[in-house]
Amino acid sequence: MKTFFMIGWRNLWRNKRRSLVVISSVALGIFAMLFSMGFMNGMNRQMVENTISTSLGHVSIHYKGFLDDMKLEKSFVPSTSLLDRLESIQGLAFAPRVKMEGMIRSSEASRGVMIIGIDPEREKSVTKIFDYTKKNEKSAYLSDPGRHDILISQTLAEKLDLLTGDKLVLMVKGHDKEIVGMAFRIKGLFQSPLDSFDKFVVFTGITALQEIVGIKDRISEIVIRTPHRDLVDEIAVRIKTFIKTPGVTAMTWKEMAPGLMKAVILFDNMMYIFFAIIFTTVVFSIANTLIMAIMERFREIGVMKSIGTRPSWIGAMVMFESINLGIAGMIAGILMTMIVVIPLSFSGIDFSFYAESMRDWGTGNVIYPVMKTRDLIVCGIIVLTTTIAAAIYPAIKAARIKPLDALHHV
Amino acid sequence: MNIIEADKIKKTYESNGLSVTALGGVDVAVKKGEFTALAGPSGSGKTTLLNIIGGLDAPTSGSIKVDNVDLAPLKAKALAEIRLTKIGFVFQAYNLIPVLTAIENVEYVLLLQGVGKKERRDRSVNVLEQVGLSDQVNRRPHELSGGQQQRVAVARAIVSEPAIVLADEPTANLDQKTGAKLCDMMRDLNEQKHITFLFSTHDSMVMERARRLIHLIDGKVVKEESKGKK
Repeated sequence: MKTFFMIGWRNLWRNKRRSLVVISSVALGIFAMLFSMGFMNGMNRQMVENTISTSLGHVSIHYKGFLDDMKLEKSFVPSTSLLDRLESIQGLAFAPRVKMEGMIRSSEASRGVMIIGIDPEREKSVTKIFDYTKKNEKSAYLSDPGRHDILISQTLAEKLDLLTGDKLVLMVKGHDKEIVGMAFRIKGLFQSPLDSFDKFVVFTGITALQEIVGIKDRISEIVIRTPHRDLVDEIAVRIKTFIKTPGVTAMTWKEMAPGLMKAVILFDNMMYIFFAIIFTTVVFSIANTLIMAIMERFREIGVMKSIGTRPSWIGAMVMFESINLGIAGMIAGILMTMIVVIPLSFSGIDFSFYAESMRDWGTGNVIYPVMKTRDLIVCGIIVLTTTIAAAIYPAIKAARIKPLDALHHV
Repeated sequence: MNIIEADKIKKTYESNGLSVTALGGVDVAVKKGEFTALAGPSGSGKTTLLNIIGGLDAPTSGSIKVDNVDLAPLKAKALAEIRLTKIGFVFQAYNLIPVLTAIENVEYVLLLQGVGKKERRDRSVNVLEQVGLSDQVNRRPHELSGGQQQRVAVARAIVSEPAIVLADEPTANLDQKTGAKLCDMMRDLNEQKHITFLFSTHDSMVMERARRLIHLIDGKVVKEESKGKK
């Protein structure tokens, strides 16, 4: 077989220009595939990371059903043992939150919002709201969880015609089912990469919010950031064993945002369908080249059969030619991708000119492509499948050449 | 002992409703160690007979045995095996594999037979020496002259020590001098190594060198003559 592989390889270079055209088409296909895959990986990763960083965290401890119905009845007092055990996991950060729906009013307009009461210091290690907050002489991050300060997004400030330092009225339903309203001063403005988040979420100090709604030291959830995203499932299972309060559970970001997970899977599958279409055209390109090569070597193949080469070996030789074309194209394609994608994975691709749409997607303005081993494996499988599929008909045709017909061929 | 036994071989071709007889009942027997020429003008059936003996074509009727193996019932794969193990071929147009060097072309047959790498290389070097090409082993066919290419083809045909070497007008594409040299070389191999040769020709120079001549005209054996060693 080694010899037939070698003959296949040398045959490839008998018509250099033709082979190079096919190799280039495979290489461009691979490049298009890996580059778009890398781009999509980067988008997906940033989309997920931004969702985790703005609100979800990796894991959240809360009452079952809390996410569907954020009522104050579904608040709880975290036990000291739970907090101690969370503290004991190395590299793990967590922050308590009170989370509820309510309304903010300015003199100009009012708006329904999600109000998140946070411990400003603890929140820094769990989400990126601190990073997203503008820090200048007018705007600053929350400092005291008991003060009636509030962080709202730049988008919301513009819609409600508010500036930092202005007062707004926060209206929520208290623990006693009564609507309570309280004035809060805008301490700072933030801008996250998620447009939907900015339009809907405001932050206050946790103690201030607990006082207003009258839940004392009860909280809605504990948001957790694990040392690494891959550890999320494992740590969530451990955390569940720490929880002793009936009805309270731990959920991973994947469980909390199933739509996001589905979107990521959908994007991946869409890419594979896209590649299947690209490589269907590559199949015909390779098959066409092989048929031409076989017709040119009709007599030669006849001689090989005359001197005792079995039909299956002739078929294998054609198959190797096809695989050689594919492998050469794949190596060229991977090299092209590495030359382009590796620098871009550090510098990123700036889509600031498309900022509004990028905020809708929640990816951020700069996309950092990510090459995954999985994509290289998929690429290898696709190339191998494609080249074998392309060679089937030419290989059968070559194997069936009758030596006598070929010897008479001029 | 007969290496070839062709008995009442007939071959007719159908073309546009017409039946053309290429061989009309030929009996030929070739013994081990013979150096035999099938002689005759173009269209006399020499090549058709060689193709049938070589298992490349099937007779319309009659039987053919090569080294006591009846070719009639054999399928394509088994015929390929017979061609590989019992027959060496030399073609008019050299027909070497262009992407292989001289020694790789010779080794190719041994490789198909499953001979080990070292033995394959040693035997090929040895055979290329016998045909006077020991200094050309690593050249590809396009780097060799017509005569040299045909010597490589002879080396490829004899390297596996087949029962018989079939050569279809081996000197037809060579000039007179080169053709004569090739013919002498084949005869030397026949004398020294006792390799059986059966070749077709219409060249008087080649016929002169044959030990036995079978004359074919219009698909029939018209005359046989044997000559002693010169």
